[in-house]
Amino acid sequence: MARMKFLCDADRCIECNACVTACKNENEVPWGINRRRVVTINDGKPGERSVSMACMHCTDAPCASVCPVNCFYTTADAVVLHSKDLCIGCGYCFYACPFGAPQYPRVGNFGSRGKMDKCTFCAGGPETDNAQVEYEKYGANRLAEGKLPLCAEMCSTKSLLAGDGEIIAQIYKERVVKRGYGSGAWGWKTAYKETIAS
Amino acid sequence: MLIKRTEREKRRGHLAASLGNQSVGGLDRRTFLRRSGLAAGGLATLGALPLAGMRKADAAGTAPTGAGITIRKNICTHCSVGCTVLAEVQNGVWVGQEPGWDSPINRGSHCAKGAAVRELVHGDRRLKYPMKLVNGQWQRMTWDKAIDEIGDKLMEIRAKSGPDSVYWLGSAKFSNEGAYLNRKLAAFWGTNNVDHQARICHSTTVAGVANTWGYGAMTNSYNDIRNAKTMIIMGGNPAEAHPVSLQHLLEGKELQRANYIVIDPRMTRTAAHATEYVRIRPGTDIPVIWGMLHHIFKNGWEDKEFIQQRVYGMDDIRKEVEKWTPEEVERVTGVPGKQLERVAKMFATEKPATLIWCMGATQHTVGTANVRAFCIALLATGNVGGFGNGANIFRGHCNVQGATDLGLDIVTLPLYYGLVEGAWRHWSRVWEVDYSWFEGRFDTVTGADGKPVKMINAPGIPSTRWFDAALLPKDQVSQKDNLKAMFVMGHGGNTVTRMPEVAKGLEKIDLLVVADPHPTTWAVLSERKNGTYLLPICTQFECSGSRTASNRSIQWGEQVVKPIFESKNDYEVMYLLAKKLGFADLMFKNIKVENNEPVAEDILREINRGGWSTGYCGQSPERLKTHMANQKDFDLVSLRAKDGPAKGDYYGLPWPCWGTPEFKHPGTHQLYNTNLPVKDGGGTFRARFGVERVVKTKVMENGQEVEKEQKFNLLAEGSYSKDSEIKDGYPEFTLGVLKKLGWDKDLTEAEMAVIQKINPANPDAVAWSIDLSGGIQRVAITHGCIPYGNGKARANAFGLPDAIPVHREPIYTPRPELVAKYPTLPNARQFRVPNIGFDVQKTAVDKGIAKQFPLVLTSGRLVEYEGGGEETRSNKWLAELQQDMFIEINPSDATERGIKDGGWVWVTGAENSSKARMKALVTERVGKGVAWCPFHFAGWFQGTDQRSKYPTGADPIVLGESVNTLTTYGYDPVTGMQEPKATLCQIRAA
Amino acid sequence: MAKFLTTIRLAVGAIALLCVLAIAAPVSAQDRNPDGSVNPTASAVKEDQLLRELNRIQGRVTIPDTKEGVLIQPAGREWREFHQVTLYWIGAISIIGMLALLVIFYLMRGMVKIEHGRSGRTVVRFNPFERFVHWLTAACFIVLAVSGLNITFGKSLLLPLMGADAFAGWSQWGKYAHNYLSFPFTIGVVLIFLMWIGGNIPSRTDVEWVKRGGGLFGHDHPPAYRFNAGQKMIYWIVVLGGTAVAVSGYILMFPFYGGMTVAGMQLAGIVHGVVAVLFIAAMLAHIYIGTLGMEGAFEAMGTGEVDVNWAKEHHSLWLEEEARRVGGATPRATPAE
Repeated sequence: MARMKFLCDADRCIECNACVTACKNENEVPWGINRRRVVTINDGKPGERSVSMACMHCTDAPCASVCPVNCFYTTADAVVLHSKDLCIGCGYCFYACPFGAPQYPRVGNFGSRGKMDKCTFCAGGPETDNAQVEYEKYGANRLAEGKLPLCAEMCSTKSLLAGDGEIIAQIYKERVVKRGYGSGAWGWKTAYKETIAS
Repeated sequence: MLIKRTEREKRRGHLAASLGNQSVGGLDRRTFLRRSGLAAGGLATLGALPLAGMRKADAAGTAPTGAGITIRKNICTHCSVGCTVLAEVQNGVWVGQEPGWDSPINRGSHCAKGAAVRELVHGDRRLKYPMKLVNGQWQRMTWDKAIDEIGDKLMEIRAKSGPDSVYWLGSAKFSNEGAYLNRKLAAFWGTNNVDHQARICHSTTVAGVANTWGYGAMTNSYNDIRNAKTMIIMGGNPAEAHPVSLQHLLEGKELQRANYIVIDPRMTRTAAHATEYVRIRPGTDIPVIWGMLHHIFKNGWEDKEFIQQRVYGMDDIRKEVEKWTPEEVERVTGVPGKQLERVAKMFATEKPATLIWCMGATQHTVGTANVRAFCIALLATGNVGGFGNGANIFRGHCNVQGATDLGLDIVTLPLYYGLVEGAWRHWSRVWEVDYSWFEGRFDTVTGADGKPVKMINAPGIPSTRWFDAALLPKDQVSQKDNLKAMFVMGHGGNTVTRMPEVAKGLEKIDLLVVADPHPTTWAVLSERKNGTYLLPICTQFECSGSRTASNRSIQWGEQVVKPIFESKNDYEVMYLLAKKLGFADLMFKNIKVENNEPVAEDILREINRGGWSTGYCGQSPERLKTHMANQKDFDLVSLRAKDGPAKGDYYGLPWPCWGTPEFKHPGTHQLYNTNLPVKDGGGTFRARFGVERVVKTKVMENGQEVEKEQKFNLLAEGSYSKDSEIKDGYPEFTLGVLKKLGWDKDLTEAEMAVIQKINPANPDAVAWSIDLSGGIQRVAITHGCIPYGNGKARANAFGLPDAIPVHREPIYTPRPELVAKYPTLPNARQFRVPNIGFDVQKTAVDKGIAKQFPLVLTSGRLVEYEGGGEETRSNKWLAELQQDMFIEINPSDATERGIKDGGWVWVTGAENSSKARMKALVTERVGKGVAWCPFHFAGWFQGTDQRSKYPTGADPIVLGESVNTLTTYGYDPVTGMQEPKATLCQIRAA
Repeated sequence: MAKFLTTIRLAVGAIALLCVLAIAAPVSAQDRNPDGSVNPTASAVKEDQLLRELNRIQGRVTIPDTKEGVLIQPAGREWREFHQVTLYWIGAISIIGMLALLVIFYLMRGMVKIEHGRSGRTVVRFNPFERFVHWLTAACFIVLAVSGLNITFGKSLLLPLMGADAFAGWSQWGKYAHNYLSFPFTIGVVLIFLMWIGGNIPSRTDVEWVKRGGGLFGHDHPPAYRFNAGQKMIYWIVVLGGTAVAVSGYILMFPFYGGMTVAGMQLAGIVHGVVAVLFIAAMLAHIYIGTLGMEGAFEAMGTGEVDVNWAKEHHSLWLEEEARRVGGATPRATPAE
């Protein structure tokens, strides 16, 4: 089984936000929910780098660990998904998540949280693959269609890579060797407890 | 999204079958890599992606993709890169977007805008039906009534004030066919007051570059930049303006380990990836280039052979450049000499080198001179006319190149024929309408010298000055009357400078028609109460037609869905209008019209029949459609089809694509590339400026002043395109030239008959550009020669106001002490209106404006929005990402003023007591003393929210102040380009 | 506990580091071109370096949700460690430990009887308003405690018994109850603070009382005013602990309001969790002593009236005070029916 991962090559990322709108488009994500976003570090200074970030589908995911109702599960492709039927919107996963991935619609009382929403690696949720109810709750299930997440597929500079961890690590490694520089596989250490030697 | 779900369910069945019920883990490596945008076999072959596997079947739309689902291929309607959009359509609804892997231009990629285009045809913020303003209230009306009322009003204005009182403002968002029809409509109406966004984006490029070597367009392509060893991006931020182009730039940078140099006042997202960043003061491009050339000439890094063979007037440049010592350059621009020397060395010696520019270079009073200086730098270093070099001018809108080519412009008929009688006669022949009929449609007025001026030959008013033509006293506008009507199609109202005066101009005119998918700023800016019409136009996704990307490739987009709500496409609206105005039969004589809708393919065929001058003659709709269907065959770097039905063609038949479609010229990937035979897309500099220049100078000889005549050869010397039978320079081809060479015998009888018919009195004078048979082109190319001749490029562009580019300070400069040495050009009348830039500059210096407004204000693009921004600010997926208008200010300037990041500020401008309220973004992107604003916002005006003035439900999600409320006077003398890139402002915390 | 401290340290440190981030990371010399000009590619920030220096990588986002500007916060894993390990242990030890203590105590001591038997006469100890406030707070507390413990321990204890769906439903209701009842609970705590502050200022008597072990062992009855030192302790636990859980709770309930950062939110979560479990443990003791632990004690909050003998034994000074206040030799008392 493939071990799905994301890798953002910050030396290619230009903060064009294609990943963000592709995600919105594919999953009909509502206003205010940012399953993916681009963060620019050292903005305006030489050395500035932008990184596209969403759920990294961590190994031993902290969100799953802290969830009081155990609503998370990991698929055979190592994608970390959750059940909105079980989620109670407590917000703990946001505190535990190293990447700020969990999002909560503002519902009801106190402007507080509704059921958590996050990047699914375009792999839907616990419902039957590609059932209508799955789309409504979680968005597209491209993996079931044999496709990869649209954010990476549409990335303007092929900065954001998605797919089997070994292959994308290999691609990144080759890039770094070829061009002679690399600012690191952002988030890999934290998410997968590994880095890509460069 | 119920439809989407059902569709996916069905499709999945198919895909699961094709996968052999394997899980995702079963994707083969090649397929996987292709999707990751990466090649199997490592980076060495990166770029040459194998396009095989199951995706292809999907993309081509030929495989059974599940009941009711079709894939339609169109082109992104935002920037000029020309990304392929794959739309999944079911039951007439656009249900999904997929990456178009096969396109060699974007390989599946998009930017924020491209990945969100599906929203455009769902957008509930679109204008839904025709409306008019009645006593300040929007009222719904029918199309019939709208066309009727508008037509009557136009005729009334025409009768009273003449045809020139109506301004036809067209769009770079038109398809080629739409742009051509719009230009044709103005010609049939009888005015040259017809323009579009190119005026304010690259008009100076077109003028400056064409005046240097023939054609005013990107010489190479985005893809070709992959071959460059050095790239300089000067006055451009493609990371935000053309994000997908960065795929080519960054991969090129990586694979070639190329120098990637950004010269800009602002540390942009593009500069973040540079190997060298040079910060300059806005408006000092020429001194920077001259500073580079100073080092190049001093160290002998110039390409002497290239200059000798292919360039005229470089010695005149040397003289000017000598003045720009490193010290003077640093004093004026702020760039240290050492850094510039290294940049110059890389540019001159690590070749091929390319120079990329955008509106940072063009939007100045010296815009034309700027781009001329850029061209000269390329010529001096021999960096044009080959692989991986050239002037890579990134155009703005999706079809600004095409709309420019098709003459949606005040100085020319379609395809750069100009406005001279010969040009009109050429198009009269193509249109099969008598030239005299057109003469009758136009005014003749009395000029300042008392002689009659035929307005048919007089350039029109630039779009930057339309409101001046409405507001100035009648005697200052060189036409029968002031402007009385604006007919605006697909053009934002916040795109021109001096907006407080624009608002006044709007209140002055009698009729305003806005034909657009959105109401746009035009609808709300002024206090108009009546005489305003909104016509809902569909997007190019609801229409078919071709569009020309920045690299001159033409791509055919097929209609994705039918126009939504009551909107109509451009062709139909122009047809209905022509019908109402009484010339539809003439105008559409050779174009099939079905249900009031002119057929796009037929319009393109008419363009082909007349487009000889620019090589728009070979791109038949059939050939373009073949390319779109076989995108996978085209190579990523060379853009040439290796296989398939389009084998040998360059992708999108980039113009010039010579001869008739049957001649099968492959198009031209790199202009002026002598390394290739003309039949394979090679070429030479265009012999456009004659064969020799005679310069008369007065010299003292034996104590006596005598006039001496010097002759300079303007044809190439010893340089020619590969396989040329003429091994030297040669003039443009006419029947007479063919006869001299003895090649006229190669013409067929039919071709000869056509030539004879064009000029029965003197057939020898019939040139390659007006030969409707294409015979002259065919014969010249058969002999390895390019039809337009083999000339020298002009470093000295005699005839232009600044034949040798010289530095001139911006009208509003933060360095008034430099104005005495580097003043702007004297006042003059240009394009029917006065240009009083000199007076304005002098007054600003005398009044000490720079003390009151100490910050340079410059403007630019955000990746999420485009142009005036109405369409993108109405797109919920994009609008969420930029919710407020802002101004970037350096931390030290902010501290001085007590301004906090994210806090509200008032920005005041140097003219009209203008002010604007926006948020501050405190950042080192801008240097000290410089402030920067995005130009996409509108809907707030000097602190007032105008949301309530939009028709209900058609207001964009995000509104904000327009930067052009603050921008000021200043116009390029050659094109009327405005100056939004260098003015002055003050900022204080609100 | 070490983990817990680490977490707090990290959380606080992160806030400080945000300020550090505002200052430009200086471009080192080798990232520059020979003439000192900048090479943006060579000077690019590196993840490794930032993580080493800052432990929280933050930047600019264009969306208004500024908390999304935090790109990577490995502290999330520390928080998870706190929540899954440290808090578990603190909670388990304090609550189970307290229960064990009480059981042992009960077995050893049994119920503390009224030594002189019931007198049949009672004295008013708490008026109806005081009792209302007490029970309001107490009822809220119990629901909050149960729903709160459920969030931390429910998935280990209840989930296997109830099944995922039922447990999620129960937890969802628990969350609603927890959120809504926080308001009356907070009001109760405030009223308790105001109502009883007079009798709960520590005094010399308390020293004596504590020295004599509160009379928990043997048959000693150290004198006390209205509230003895043990009750004062409970009072202050309720007031201070209540304030801490309320403040931290409202921060959690209104996430990221008022510019709160994720570090602040994590800290709030830590404070809330730790204080809550300790609070619960303390309240177990309170409940024990007010019910099973002591004869006649429950009546104080039950009917509001206690037996005079109970009062004599446990709050002798208070009884005297009451007597003086009423003005007679004996307090106004009614015979027990």
